[in-house]
Amino acid sequence: MNPAIQPGEADAAPAQAADTSGLALACELPADAGADGRIWIPAGVSHRIRIADPAHRARLLAAIFDMQPDRDLKLVLLGAEVNALRMEERIALRARVAFLPAAGGLLSDLNAWENIVLPLGCHFPERLPGIAVEVHGLLTGLGMAPEMLLGKLPEEMTLLEKKIAGFVRILLEAPDLVLVENFAAGLDRAERMRIPYFAATYHASHPGGTFVQLEDVLGV
Amino acid sequence: MIGAYRELEGCMQLLGHVLRRLTVLRLPPIGEQLTRQIYFAGASAAAGIVTRGAFIGTLIIVYVIEVLEADAALAVKILLWVVLREMGPLLAALLVLQRSGTAIATELALMHVTGEIASLRQMRIDPRDYLVAPRVVGIAVSTVVLTFYVQVIAVGGGMLLSPLVVDATFDELADSFFLLASPMDIVYSLIKSLLFGVSIAVISCYHGLHPPGISINAIPKATISAVTQSTLVVMLLNVVFAYLVFGELLFGLVTAKL
Repeated sequence: MNPAIQPGEADAAPAQAADTSGLALACELPADAGADGRIWIPAGVSHRIRIADPAHRARLLAAIFDMQPDRDLKLVLLGAEVNALRMEERIALRARVAFLPAAGGLLSDLNAWENIVLPLGCHFPERLPGIAVEVHGLLTGLGMAPEMLLGKLPEEMTLLEKKIAGFVRILLEAPDLVLVENFAAGLDRAERMRIPYFAATYHASHPGGTFVQLEDVLGV
Repeated sequence: MIGAYRELEGCMQLLGHVLRRLTVLRLPPIGEQLTRQIYFAGASAAAGIVTRGAFIGTLIIVYVIEVLEADAALAVKILLWVVLREMGPLLAALLVLQRSGTAIATELALMHVTGEIASLRQMRIDPRDYLVAPRVVGIAVSTVVLTFYVQVIAVGGGMLLSPLVVDATFDELADSFFLLASPMDIVYSLIKSLLFGVSIAVISCYHGLHPPGISINAIPKATISAVTQSTLVVMLLNVVFAYLVFGELLFGLVTAKL
């Protein structure tokens, strides 16, 4: 069992909870969504949820990341009920959440370094001058030699390298909630053994943050 | 009809967004995209246009002098009208459409299909800022520069090469050119080429960002729509622009000296 992951903690969803302030993510998907249709994740933990149905998974992600609210889905994100927020509050909340797609979410015409610093260059360009040292440290901490990765285009990378580049990109923005999609999918046994370090690295750099693995099957 | 209206509305909204958000070009990753666009659409396209431009200029002079049995002054006059005002901007626009318009529509549609556009949104980067703004500005700048380049190469090359074929000296042709050419001709053609470039880029970006589906088949369809509509708009703009400038509306701002 992955030591950084605590499944079951979220499964005990209180039926009538009113105080949402300590929650990182909570919502109730329709019954056919899969084993974890009811999601109840407190802030500051690592957790894994399973939503087998791709349509429901897409709906949850859209509710979190799209700016148009899904009125039929009651979603609590980082302590706030999303549908009750104004647009500017939703935008501000959205800036505290990051998502790592299963394939890493890299842009194919940029190399790993350009992909890693892309959001920072767009949102916090003033941080760019000193960022190389931070990237180097994060990559080394995740067991990846920076000189082996940073010059590669996505088509030259292994799936694990893509996930690591995408993950480092997320870490640089220090989000309060990280959603990782099907992290173990496509990785071999040795690569899967490294998954705990991802959550540990995130919590080390952002102690109050919440790390959620979003799976379609519980493979690991 | 409704579809065409929606596409027109979408293109106008895209253009409006780009004009409002031009300051994003100062951000390092977006500035880098702009540089890449100018290099691809402008610098790397320039080499191929040299021979074509020079041959067009030569052909016009030779045809006018040999076939119409006209003098050097009339040959240069027609060269000015055809190349400076019409052929230069059109040739540059078609070259940009052929190389960059197709590339933009294909690339953006592929990014849409493979989820890279969604990735940008998940990074809170507006695809219109990161992908469209540098492309529109880059293509517009490249089209203007290429037009000027075509004009210089076609007129200069035509006047240099024609004496090898017909009975006219370079000095004769050059004298006629400087006598007849007006700065307004250049300004007119460059403004027109700027509009051509903006139209090609906006239409290509619009179809790239809105492919008709999420399968691989949607990519060529997006490219075809971009090319056909860009060609139509460029031709339409050419006619409208000619009417506005040469017609009565602006009192014949640019006149044909006969």
